[in-house]
Amino acid sequence: MDLKKLLQPFKLEKNLYKKPMTLVFPKEALPPVENYRGRQLLNIETCVGCGMCSRVCPNDAIVMVEFNDKKCPQIHLGKCCFCGLCAENCPTGALEMTSEIFIAGYDRSFALYDPEKLSKSE
Amino acid sequence: MMDLPFFTVPFGPCHPSSGHFHASLKLDGERVVEVIPDPGYLHRGFEKLMEYRTFLQNSPLVDRICILDPFAAELGYVNAAERVLEIEAPERGKFIRTIMAELGRILSHITWIGVTSMVLGLDSGCKIAWGDREPIIRINEKVTGGRIYPCYFIPGGVRRDLPGTFPEMIENVFDRLEKNIEQYDFLVFNNESFRLRMENVGTLKTQEAIDLGATGPNLRATGLKADLRKDDPYEVYDQLNFDTVTQKKGDAFSRGLCRRFEIEESMKIIRDALQKIPGGDFKNKDFKPFTKAKEKETYFCCESARGEQCYHMVGNGTNKPYRAKVRGPSFSHTLEEFPYLAKNSYIADIPAIYWSLDPCPADVDR
Repeated sequence: MDLKKLLQPFKLEKNLYKKPMTLVFPKEALPPVENYRGRQLLNIETCVGCGMCSRVCPNDAIVMVEFNDKKCPQIHLGKCCFCGLCAENCPTGALEMTSEIFIAGYDRSFALYDPEKLSKSE
Repeated sequence: MMDLPFFTVPFGPCHPSSGHFHASLKLDGERVVEVIPDPGYLHRGFEKLMEYRTFLQNSPLVDRICILDPFAAELGYVNAAERVLEIEAPERGKFIRTIMAELGRILSHITWIGVTSMVLGLDSGCKIAWGDREPIIRINEKVTGGRIYPCYFIPGGVRRDLPGTFPEMIENVFDRLEKNIEQYDFLVFNNESFRLRMENVGTLKTQEAIDLGATGPNLRATGLKADLRKDDPYEVYDQLNFDTVTQKKGDAFSRGLCRRFEIEESMKIIRDALQKIPGGDFKNKDFKPFTKAKEKETYFCCESARGEQCYHMVGNGTNKPYRAKVRGPSFSHTLEEFPYLAKNSYIADIPAIYWSLDPCPADVDR
């Protein structure tokens, strides 16, 4: 038998001394990327209530609601597909995408972000 | 001797190697007598959904047609939409789209290596392939903002410019990938048990493949040089240097080899495109969220990782397509070729035949 062929499997032994490809998730998560499309953040002062975000949303996740005597977006993150079209088409830049991804909750109402909740970053 | 009834075995939709696709296998002992495909477990009705969304809103939607190769689905859509809207993307936008579409092809082929080695019982191949997929997904994340669903191409260009560090990111990933391709050769493609299960299984001749509607690597593995990037160049493929990968035998193993060499070819295309990429605008400012289409009908085909991804689109003067028809490559691969090849084969060869065609159940059902 060919000796080279016989010893071939031992080539893979070098993988024993390599670092693992995986991460121990909650302790060492991947660092967030700049310009990531996570959950939205609203700046209530610059929002003019034009409703462009709700018109451009492909899933109808955004509804304009009365807040502090003007109209502001309210986002249902259960419907949101995180495409980022709302933030991209916002004329004043009041709505922006953050790199916040840990937005899970225990019931459905947690996913409903009214203007006040939307304007707070964690 | 007593005539025994055929034994029917379900393949999928919860089988570890079938995806969300179901087929009933009629067995005579170990031999498969008939295959009755039963798609529809992943039907989401894209064609109807596209009629209710504007041309901009459809861009995030078509990503979901094939999750493993989202860039090609977007590329076909935006080109068809651009023809209906009568707008042209700037040269830089076209280069960026070509680069990202090729990156999507690499991503899809690496996933294929991983899944196929896994269903054939070679788990280490799967782990290495999924490890290789991660740095490319990380590039996706940095360029487009999304890991799996890029939502990146829009009619008239792309949504963001490439980051300044893009060439270095690509070089880092490709250096690593080139080393790992040698490892795939050693671990997967020259592996005796892998070859025994893939060679001379599910052999398809060129004429048969054409008759059954095969496209992409499945057709090229039979020896025919059929590549839309060469035959009917779109985007900037006519300016780039690359070869069409073909194999001769047309069996499951040569379909795999075709994909393995296409990874290298795609790396060549991206490196070539990064040298030729011009400056300037990356999107056409004429395209607005509610731009109206002309009264026009078009049909556009592009070469995805699995084959021809085509869109038939009709505009009627509003900002939504009047009709959009999607032709996915996996449809004919899974519903025509798979029953044809699986007939009269052994049941143990079914995963090898099925995965050598690189089907995507999401693309079959749409």
